[in-house]
Amino acid sequence: MMSGSTQEEEELPVNHTGPKGVINDWRRFKLDSLDQTVPQSKKELLRQMSSPREDDKERLNRKMSVQEYEMIQEEDERCLKHYRKQCMQEMHERLSFCPAFEEVYELESGDAFLEVIENEHRLTLVIVHVYQPGVKGCEQLNSCLDCLALEYSSIKFCRIDAVAAGASERFTPEVLPALLVYKASELLGHFLAVTKHFNEDFFATDVEGFLNEYGLLPKKEFTACADDEDEGEDVE
Amino acid sequence: MGEMEELRKEMENLKDQITAARKTFQDTTLQEAASGVTVVGRVQLKTRKTLRGHLAKIYAMHWGTDSTLCVSASQDGKLIVWDSITTNKVNAIPLKSSWVMTCAYAPSGNLVACGGLDNMCSIYNLKGKDGNVKVMRELAAHTGYLSCCRFLSDTEIITSSGDCTCVLWDIETGTEKMVFAGHQGDCMSLGVSPDFKFFISGACDFTAKLWDIREAQCRQTFSGHESDINAIGFFPNGNAVITGSDDATCKLYDLRADQELITYQDSSIMCGVTSLAASKSGRLLLAGHDDFNVNIWDMLKSERVGVLAGHDNRVSCIGVSSDGMACCTGSWDSFLKIWN
Repeated sequence: MMSGSTQEEEELPVNHTGPKGVINDWRRFKLDSLDQTVPQSKKELLRQMSSPREDDKERLNRKMSVQEYEMIQEEDERCLKHYRKQCMQEMHERLSFCPAFEEVYELESGDAFLEVIENEHRLTLVIVHVYQPGVKGCEQLNSCLDCLALEYSSIKFCRIDAVAAGASERFTPEVLPALLVYKASELLGHFLAVTKHFNEDFFATDVEGFLNEYGLLPKKEFTACADDEDEGEDVE
Repeated sequence: MGEMEELRKEMENLKDQITAARKTFQDTTLQEAASGVTVVGRVQLKTRKTLRGHLAKIYAMHWGTDSTLCVSASQDGKLIVWDSITTNKVNAIPLKSSWVMTCAYAPSGNLVACGGLDNMCSIYNLKGKDGNVKVMRELAAHTGYLSCCRFLSDTEIITSSGDCTCVLWDIETGTEKMVFAGHQGDCMSLGVSPDFKFFISGACDFTAKLWDIREAQCRQTFSGHESDINAIGFFPNGNAVITGSDDATCKLYDLRADQELITYQDSSIMCGVTSLAASKSGRLLLAGHDDFNVNIWDMLKSERVGVLAGHDNRVSCIGVSSDGMACCTGSWDSFLKIWN
């Protein structure tokens, strides 16, 4: 939902999804392609179409030019494979460029909590454990998060004592321990009494599995197929 | 030049008159009517399955009517039919062109279709006699890219195109039965009404149009968006239309009131909407944005109640099954996920 990052500002504003996403992917493929059949004049056209001028009202309603339609042809599969890999690698890199953390941070006050939520890097996931000493499950959850903090260095894990936060009215013992998940100041996940989802004895892997179910953790695997491109597809 | 100016003025006048006429029928707003309804509360969906097999960005997906099978189209030049429960690949269909923009599953489950920069809609028979999936028809007549297609039956399909028209095809003869012309910009998406009598189209002229299929006529036009409409769908009861636009908002238009009921927008959302799906009850709207994020809206209260796949923005397309039990998302990293 954030509109731009330092990386994105350098790029031409394009669509990534839907039919316009396909058109822009095709344009980029023709521009970047190893295939030498695209002459310089056509490349210039592709660049122009990628960033329509605001004042060209007639052009705005039409997304592809006649000359571009003429450029569509059967493409070299080898070039296509290279391009697809490149696309995904770039996306992965774009998302992996962010600060790294090693431990769970103790937030001493409500202000510290707000500071973390609002000021972390827009790509950094912030997971806050709201606890109270003596409440069942809090200590166990703390140990689990200590482990996960080592494994997921891109995530900033924090914990805050509900009383220290001045939030003990909202975070009463019945709803503790609670996990709050934020990114770019946005609340992504909100789990009160989170231990009700686990057994009496639970471990880091249980917490990890739980967060994964909601799509909240980064993928540990690189896309499974990036290196397996030469295997034949089974057509049943 | 004088005449053009006059005509332009007349057109603006007519538009104002239409807007005024619509307003006189408006006796309440959606917000007022829904004020007694309690908010839905935070919606947090869980991944139930991951479908692995594609090699590149998923461009489109569509559920079959049995709510179990679904078809996906990817930049890797393949259509894959999945069993979303077992996660098995039922069919893997190689396409002639990698630049596929849309795919569709026939209500019968016998056929799938796709199309894209090849300007054609290709129909595949899944239930061929020898068990192989082959191209059954190539519907070629559009002079622009194929942005969307939806089956009416095994014999009829509707397509929308970058040539600004939509077409109803006779699949058996491979010919155009009706051409729906009227949009002033590329048609980006279409949706068929629950009773199969009407369809709606969203285009780059910032409008949505309701078409009577048999009469080949545009019945209603809805404006208000400030940029291209990329995604469109019927509200589950068929009485309203939901649109998603590059202006970063979604709108709900009521067919009988012939006007916009509400705009789903938030000042923190600046990225265009490129896909959308409503829950079966119509209470929730899932809006997929071009930055690969999905926002979940309470449609009655016009409040954001959640996001999908919170960590990495990866979602490139979405679809809700007809039984309303699951949502499927395709992503740029080649996977599809089933959520509920």
